[in-house]
Formats: sequence, structure tokens, C-alpha cells
Amino acid sequence: MASVKLTNVKKVYDNNVVAVHDFNLDIKDKEFVVFVGPSGCGKSTTLRMVAGLEEISDGTVEIDGEVVNDLQPKDRNIAMVFQNYALYPHMTVYDNIAFSLRLKKVPEDVIYAKVTNAAEILGITEYLMRKPRALSGGQRQRVAIGRAMVRDSKVFLMDEPLSNLDAKLRNQMRAEIILLRQRLDTTFIYVTHDQTEAMTLGDRIVIMKDGYIMQVGTPTEVFEMPHNLFVAEFIGAPKMNVVRTNLIKEGGKYFVTPCGAKIEVTGEKANLLADKGIDSREILLGARPEHIVLADENDPGAMVCTLEVNEMMGSELHLHVYTEDGTRWIVRIPTIDLSTEQRKALVAGAKLYITFEGKAMHFFDPETEKNLIYGE
Amino acid sequence: MAPAILLMVLGALCPAVALLLRLTVTQSTDSLGVKLTGFLQIVVLVIGVLLVVFGVINLVRTIVRNGRIVRQAQEEQAELHRIGLCRELSDAEFLQLDKGEKAVNKFVRGLVRIPVGTWNGIKKIGLFFKNAALGIVNECKDIWKTFVEGDWKTKVSFLVMGFGNIARGQVLRGILFLLLEVVFIGYMILMGGYYLSMLPSLGKIGPHSEMKLVPGVGEIETTVKGDNSFKILLYGVLTIFFIIAVIYTWRVNVKQNKTAEMILKSGKKLKSGKDDLRSMVDDQFHKTLMALPTLGILIFTVMPIVFMILVAFTNYSSINDGYETKLFTWVGFENFKTIFSWDVGGVNYAATFGEILLWTLIWAFFATFTNYFLGIAVAMLINKKGIHLKKVWRTILIMTIAIPQFISLLYVSKMFTLNGLFNGFLIDLGIIQPANAIDFWGTPTLARIMVIIINIWIGIPYLMLIATGILMNIPADLYESAKIDGASGWKQFSKITLPYMLFITGPYLLTSFTGNMNNFNVIYLLTGGGPTNALRSGAAGTVGHTDLLITWLFKITTSGSDPTYGAQYYLASVIGILVFIVVAVISLIVYGLLPSVKNEEDFQ
Amino acid sequence: MSKQQNSMKQHMGMKAASRISNTVVYIILVAMSVIWLIPFVCIVIQSFRINPTGMTRYLLVNPEAALKPGLEIRFGFDNYIRLWNSDFPRWYLNTFIIALVVAVVQTVIVLCMSYTLSRFRFKLRKPMMQFMLILGMFPGMLSMIILYQVLKDLGLALENAVPGLILVYVASSGMGYYVSKGFFDTIPKSLDEAARIDGATRAQVLFKIILPLAKPIVIYTILTAFMGPWGDFVFARYISNGRIAAYNVAVGLQSWLATDTMTGQNYTMFCAGGVIVAVPVVILFMCLQRYYVEGVTGGAVKG
Repeated sequence: MASVKLTNVKKVYDNNVVAVHDFNLDIKDKEFVVFVGPSGCGKSTTLRMVAGLEEISDGTVEIDGEVVNDLQPKDRNIAMVFQNYALYPHMTVYDNIAFSLRLKKVPEDVIYAKVTNAAEILGITEYLMRKPRALSGGQRQRVAIGRAMVRDSKVFLMDEPLSNLDAKLRNQMRAEIILLRQRLDTTFIYVTHDQTEAMTLGDRIVIMKDGYIMQVGTPTEVFEMPHNLFVAEFIGAPKMNVVRTNLIKEGGKYFVTPCGAKIEVTGEKANLLADKGIDSREILLGARPEHIVLADENDPGAMVCTLEVNEMMGSELHLHVYTEDGTRWIVRIPTIDLSTEQRKALVAGAKLYITFEGKAMHFFDPETEKNLIYGE
Repeated sequence: MAPAILLMVLGALCPAVALLLRLTVTQSTDSLGVKLTGFLQIVVLVIGVLLVVFGVINLVRTIVRNGRIVRQAQEEQAELHRIGLCRELSDAEFLQLDKGEKAVNKFVRGLVRIPVGTWNGIKKIGLFFKNAALGIVNECKDIWKTFVEGDWKTKVSFLVMGFGNIARGQVLRGILFLLLEVVFIGYMILMGGYYLSMLPSLGKIGPHSEMKLVPGVGEIETTVKGDNSFKILLYGVLTIFFIIAVIYTWRVNVKQNKTAEMILKSGKKLKSGKDDLRSMVDDQFHKTLMALPTLGILIFTVMPIVFMILVAFTNYSSINDGYETKLFTWVGFENFKTIFSWDVGGVNYAATFGEILLWTLIWAFFATFTNYFLGIAVAMLINKKGIHLKKVWRTILIMTIAIPQFISLLYVSKMFTLNGLFNGFLIDLGIIQPANAIDFWGTPTLARIMVIIINIWIGIPYLMLIATGILMNIPADLYESAKIDGASGWKQFSKITLPYMLFITGPYLLTSFTGNMNNFNVIYLLTGGGPTNALRSGAAGTVGHTDLLITWLFKITTSGSDPTYGAQYYLASVIGILVFIVVAVISLIVYGLLPSVKNEEDFQ
Repeated sequence: MSKQQNSMKQHMGMKAASRISNTVVYIILVAMSVIWLIPFVCIVIQSFRINPTGMTRYLLVNPEAALKPGLEIRFGFDNYIRLWNSDFPRWYLNTFIIALVVAVVQTVIVLCMSYTLSRFRFKLRKPMMQFMLILGMFPGMLSMIILYQVLKDLGLALENAVPGLILVYVASSGMGYYVSKGFFDTIPKSLDEAARIDGATRAQVLFKIILPLAKPIVIYTILTAFMGPWGDFVFARYISNGRIAAYNVAVGLQSWLATDTMTGQNYTMFCAGGVIVAVPVVILFMCLQRYYVEGVTGGAVKG
């Protein structure tokens, strides 16, 4: 249990590629922090610098107040779970879990107690004498977690631990990681490219792109108050719809005019825009698919569009449509909101009218891609 | 226009070439080489005249049919541009070419890559030296800075290595530094100084007679041995190595003082001797692991190569052995001149070298590719669907790998002698008369064919193994999709199997080619280089028709009994260097032609 | 393929066609096996031949000639007994000692080298590998002259060629790291990293994780290192330089063959010697064949 502090951390590879630029982050004791971003964004590199597997080019990494830059991984008192599990193929599950303890010369009876305890928690007791190759993916993942558990380390690092599992197992393991976290009650740093994992697991999420931190915040913050277009598009599935349009200030009210429609900005957003003193201007308008609704033909905010694809997801429909100017939109509608007849009419080529809720819009600067309201 | 001018320029160059050829003939003897050069000169001149004539004709035609020609030339230009002979095509453009054009494009681009690659290589080397020079300048600046800014412990360390370490508590490191310095100074005083000072002359006093006073007998003339050129050269080289190593260590010593000062200044603790020992098996483990192997390579591979390169510039032979009979000394590029001369003391070294080099290349080519393709063929035969006992066939072949080559080669060599088993069979079967026994090893061409065939016999099991492994690794879905696309068996082989094999074994083929160039065992044990090439034997040993450069080199180094020349070690060195150059050039070219030099991390 | 051919093929049935082609393949394979084995069969037969004037070939093709009085071939263990009383046991022992020591030391060095080059990333790594590549382009024979002189100075040549040869073989064995480095490269690096986080030093990673996983390549390295000295001829001959007691089997047996005619006694003794050299090596090789195949194919694939 410990805090982790990264100050101006930088990683430059031998070929002068900068993988991480000036990374600053304070991770509190017992906090669960998730690094998320597309591949190549530097999230794994940062984690590996914390682990000591990657040399730190510049800046410092502190664990529990101690600078660990020059410490070997083994001396940092951390545990790590790898994407491909990294189980020792020539050792049984028991030996795999016991490996770190044996290196520390822990007495065998203590090892036995710890390993069996961990195995029980993870439900792998019956596989203890098997070799990793005789286990399924999920079981291997548990062994890898067990190996990290018995170490009683200060920080628990996980590098995409679920990405080699199939979708169903992934959901199950995700829930188990939440339970594990409650049980271990230690500091976690978790790396993933999957925003769902990030949202469900993290106390705080660090969203990265090209080696830069795009935003740090709680799941609610990054979802509702994205600092920039990248975060807005990255978090949430399906992706946020973005269209270039104008923001018009008319008599104290704000309107947006996508595809010939005119929609009023309502609620808190309008006030925030006014507070910031924003005038009429060109913007990138963001609207999440779930905030787009089917509208009436006569609605002034209605946009006429053609249905291209209708994806039936079960509880909801994902409608891929395009408006007359060619802009593509994704609309997410709860299945239950539509009658059977309405649903039948939703075939490719059908004409639809859509609009979106005025209170749930996001406004970005077309140049800097920063959020006009929340972006710093 | 352009071709005409090109032709004329080439034609004009020919007399220059002929003149160059003329210059290579140093003396006017009636040897074959001289005749050959004379003939070559005439040929070159005739070609030159023809080229000029063609060029003029072309030019005239160009001018006469100016309008049409210009248009045509433009079309040609466009055509060349389209095929991409003088530029890189984009993928889309490349795909639009037809089959023949693609082949032409690939070939030409490959050829273009050679000079480009070579030029890049040269640039890289240049850059390397520039960086090295810059690095040295920076190091010197840093050393000076360390001295100026350092405390007194650091300053003393500039003279007494390791002093700073000891003074700051890193006793283990300090003692090692100090020890090295003491050993170095001792060595330089006792031996190194002498060898270094003698290096430019390789010895001043050779073995000579001296009058010596023997008690009870009086003065007797005895032979006294003086300097030892061999040792001077050897230890001179070693001393230089040692000095470089000491300078490097001294630099490390200075650097350590600097970092130690910095660490102490920032309030941290220095690594203790125990920490140092511990890091030897951890973060510095690679140094521990590499120390012994690197030392071995330095002493037993690098040092001999450096030494032998130097020998190529001396007249070291078993007669000028540098101690017992005569000193040897530096001769500059004399030996290289010798080997490229048509006539030195009645011996045509250039022709000898040329012939052997040619045969070496022919041999390496056939030895590599016959084995390669036949190996693949055998592997595919055994792998064929519906063939039983696959393991047995494979094992029979593999077993022959285990038998030491000298046994099989020597035995097979005897099998094909005049009264050997093979001729015996033929006689017994009544195919030939005893008097007509085939002289496999006595007929130059036959002997050459035989070594290639027997090399196939030796090499196929090995290649079969490699090919089998790769064939099994070719993803089955490649073949399945090919079958669905309607590819026949031959198409499957030429479109999937062979490209896959070639791609994967490209580097292997290269090493195998160069390995065959230096394939001593097969040639030496089978034929001993024979049959003797009377025309080429003489000063540089007995040269045979199947001799490779490497067996020639061996013969030269072991021909110590030759009364006039002895074992011409200097010549052997020259040949060794030339072998290296040939191998290096071939490797460069092949790497230039390979589509992409594979990234080793791809396999991670 | 024309329609007619197509229908014919269907008529005959694919099976018949493949049976014919398979028969052809079998004939080729049998012929190949004969060609590949015949010299070795002949060596074995000759090694048991007593009278040097008889010709083995008669036995195989022309039995009547073989039975002609005075020319008949007799078999026995005479060659082997003579071998026992010759210098051969000495040579055999020399070679065996060399092979044993080289197998051990060379394996250690090769593994050190390939593990380092596969797992550590240090500044000199690439230059070192390139440098060794360039070194490999020089003919090794070039260094023979100087090594001989140096070993002679050290007293490790001529009569003492055995330790000298060991030194020569072992010293530059670091250059032969390609195959095992290629194998190490296939072991996931995350295993090392997991172990290092688990508290292992680099040395412990090597001994507890990598080596147990690299068993096939370790055996391959030992096997090839052991087999090498049995066939080495050039260096052994040059360094022993005529001192019979210091020969290895290759040099010794070659010297017999070089000084004798086809029908002489040395020839049959050469065969007997060859059998004694080859049999243990072949047996060892066949036992460990699996590892050898793995190493060779892996090595070629990795280049």
C-alpha cells in the first residue's frame, strides 16, 4: 500500500522516438487508476517505467515517497500481471505462485499457506499441480493474478490483463477484479485500451494519446466533461457524433445549426456558455448517440436523414443514418421506446427525422479541438 | 540522341582500357598472360571502333529523322517512366504493369539499389568517423572539465588511477584500477616499450655470427640470434591493444570520479564493493556473461586477424621467419602488386588468382543452389501425401549427417580412384575395360563435376532437414486458398512454396554461399585440390584445378619445404584479405537485393 | 487442362493416378537410400576384410571371382586388433578428451553469449554483432599460422596439441551464437520481466527460467560442440604438425590413407577406424536427433 508519484516522466527510445512526454500524476494510496488510450499512446510504457522494466529517460518515479528510478524491479516491491500472463511454462501452478516467495526464502509452510489461500480465493485449488499449458485462458489469468497476490506488494500493476480473453470471460473477470481490489485494498495501476474496462474499474482514468495525457478524472468527469474532442470520442460507445457547424448567440440564447436545423442549447450548458462569454462562432458539435432522438417532421430542430444500417443490439437499436449534406450519424434508441410497427419501418433507405437534446451537447473549438466549456 | 552519345563515349573509353591493360604487363616475356593481354587489347580496341561507328550512325539517323525520332524518344521516355526504370513506382503504378514489365522493374530497381546501398554504406562509414571524431572531442572537453571542476581526489586520480575510488570508500573498484595501472607501467617498462619501439622496423639485428669466448677453448664463431620480428609484430600489436584498453579504463576512471562527486554532492550514497558484486549478477549481468567470450574472441580471432592483415604488408615467410634465419620487414603494398601482376619472376600470379577465384565462385554457386533445390525436392518427396515410412526415409538421410565428414569424404574419394570401387563395379559389370578405367580425379572437368556431385551427396540430408522444417511451417490455409483459387500443383509450388522458402532462407542462402566459398573440407579431403594445374603451379605452391582460394591458402602456408620461396605467409595473408573482400562485396550486394533486411525483433 | 484429359482422369480415378506417382516416389526414395548408405555399408564390410589384396567389389557383383583361390576374401577382426595395437587408441583418446571439454566449455560460452545478446539491450550490442559478422567473413584458416606460433611459444602445440586445440576451439566459440540466440528470442520476454518483478536477479532469471525452457537448444549446442572435434582436420593437423602422438582421429586416419595404396593394409584399418569413430557418434546423434533437427530448422528459419 503506497502512493505513486510520477513527476515530469519522459521516455525516449534509442531511435529518438518519444513515447511519453512529460507525464505528471499523483496516485493516492489505495487508489485504482486506469491508463487508457489507443495502442501506441504510451500507456504501457509508462506502466513499465513504474515497474522498472523500462529505463526512465527523464523525470522521477516515486513509490511511497522514495525515488525508485535506479532500483531494479525486484527492489521496488511491486506486483504485475501481464497481458499474455507470462506464466513459467515449466513450473506447476503451485510453483508459479510460489516462485517469488521462494526467491525471498520464505519458509515452505508459510508459502504453502499463502499459495493455497490465494488459490482458494481465485478458485484454482484443483489445478495447483497442473502446468500452465493444461489450463484455459481464464484459469491462466487467475494464476497470473494469484502470483501477483501472494507478494503483498505496495503497488499492483496490470497490463491489459483481460485483452486475451473472449468477451464473456472478460466481463466475468472484470467483475472479479473489482472484488479482488476490495479484498486486497492496495494501490492499483491498470492499463487497457478498452474504455468500458476503464470506466467500470477505475477510480480515476488517465486518457493518453501519442505520449501525452489528454485528461485525468473520474469516470463521470471524463464522460460528462471531456476536456477535448479526443476524450469525448474515445470514451463512450458507440462513438460521439461530431459535426462542424455554427454556434449562434441570439438574444441571450444559444443555438446550433447542424444540417439546416436550428436547435436551442438548453439547461446547464447554456448557462456555462454564457458564463464563459462565448459569442457566435464556428464549432465542432458533439452529441452522443444516446442523446439523439427521433423527431417530428415539423420540429424546427428536426433533420431529415436516410437510414443506412439498423443494428439490433437487443435492448437498443443502433441506427446509422446520413443527413442530406452527407454527414453520418449514429443514433441509439432503446428498443422499448418503439412500437413493433415503428421498428418494422426502420429498414435501409427509410426516411427519418432526428434531433438532439439541447442539454447534452458538447462544443469544441475546430482548431484546438478543446472543449469550449471544460477545456483548459 | 542519348544512346548515340553514350555509344561514342564508351567507344572513346576503350583505348583507355586497352592502355590500362598494356600497363599491367610489366615485362615483355612470351608468357600466355602476355599473349592474352595482347589479344584482349586488340579486342577492346575493335569494340571501341565499332562503338564509335555505331554511335555516329545512330547520331546521323537521329538528325535525319529528327522529328520522328524526337517524338519516339519522348514516347520511349514515357515508357521508361511508366515502367519505373529511373524512379520508384508507387504500389498502384507497379500493379498496373504486366508480368514482364514487373520483372524488368524489379530487376532494375534491385540493381539500382546496389550503388545506392553502397553509397549509403559509405556515407554511414563517413558519418561513423565524423561521430567518432566528435565523440573524442567531446570526451576530451569532458575530461578537461572534470579536471578543472573536480576536487583534489579527482585531480589525483588523473595520475593515480583508482585513488578517488579508494578515497571515497569504493575500495574494490579503486584497487582494481590501481592494479591495472601498476601492471601497465610494469609491462611497458619491461617489455612493451621495446616492442613498440621496434614495431616500425620489425627488428634491427638478425641472426648473425659472433665471436664468443668459451672458457678453456678460446674464441669460437657462433650464431647469435638477434631480434625476433615475429614477436615484435605480435607483441607490438598486443601492446597497442593494451594501451587502448588502458586509455579506455583511464577514461572510465575519470568518469567515475565525476559521477561519484555528483552523487556525493546530491547527498546520496555511493555503491559499495558489495553492491558492485551484487550488480554483477543482476543489472550488470551481461558484462559478467560477455567478459570471457569477448576476451576469447579478442585474443583468438581479432588479434590473429589484425596480425595477419599486417603480415600481408611484410615479407614474412618460412624463409624470412624473423628469428631463426632472417628478419622480415615491412614491404608496403608489394605483395598486393605481386598477386595482381601478370609476370613476377616468370610466374603469372594474376592468372592463377583469377582462375582460382573464378572456380571458387562457380563452385560456391553450384554447391549452394544444387543442394538447396535438390534438398527442397527431397523434402517434398518425403512429405508427399500418401508416402509411408516418412520417418524411416528421413532417418536414413539424417544418419549420414552424424558420420564425421572426413570418413565419408576420404572413403568416397578412394571409391572413385582409378582402381577404386566404382571403376571396379563398372569393370565387373562389363561396362568398361580395365584399361579404360575412368580417371575421375585426374581429369580437370570431371574432377570439378565430381566434387559438386559428391557435395550434393553430403549436403542434401542437411538441406532436407531445413526444408522439411520450413515446409511444415507454411500455413496450410495458404495452400487451401490456393486450391480454391484453382492453382495446380506446380503453381502452388512456384507461387507459395518457393517464395516462402526463399523469403525465409534468404540470409541462410547467403551464409551458405560464403560458407561454400571457404569449404575447405570437401575439396581438400576429396581431391586435395588436384589434378595439378601445371601451368599455374610454381612459386605459390602446387595449384590444382579444383583448388579453392581457401585450399590454395592452406597449401601456401604448408609448403614450407619449397626451397626457393618456403611457405609464403605474406601471400597467404593477401589471399585471405582478398577472400574477405570478395565475401564482403557479395554479402553487401545480396543484402542490397534482398527485399527487406529482416528485423530481428520481428520474431519476438 | 483439356476436357478430354479431365474426363480421363476422372475415369481412371484420382486414386490410381496418385498410386502411380507414389510408386515413382518410392522408387526414387529407395534408390536414394541405397546411394546414401552404400559407402557406409562398404566401409563396414571392408573393415572386416583380412586379406588386403582381395577386392570387396567381387563380393557384391561377381561372386565367382571372389572365390577364386588366392583371391578369395576372408573376414575377421584382424583390422580391429591391429588398430588396438597401433596409435589409434591414443588418437581416439585425444579426440574424445577434446570433444568432451569442448562440448562443456563451448556450450557455456555460447549460452552466455546468446542469452546476453537476446535479452540485454546495451550500447555495444548492435556494433558487436555487426563486428562479429564482419569477423566471420575472414577465412578462419588465416589465423592458423599465428595461432600455431603462439601456441608453440606457450608449449601448447606439437606434442601438447591437445590442450592447444581445446583452447583454439573454445576461445572463439562465442561467434557461434546465432542458432541459440534465435531460440532465446522465441522465449517471450515477459517471462523474464515477470520473474524480475517476482524478485529474481538477472542471473536467477537465466538459471531458473530461461535455461529450463531452453533445454532443446542446450542439448543441440552440446551435441554440435561434441561432434565438431571428431571431424576437424585442418587445425588439428597444423597444430600437431607431424607429432603422431598428438593427432586426432581425423588427422591420424588421413595420414594412413595418404601413405598407402588402395589395397594396402592401412586402407582396411582406416575403414575399421572409421567404424569405431562413427558408431558411437552416430548412436549419440540418433538418440538426440530430435533436438538436432529442432536446432537446425530453427536456426535456418531465424537466419
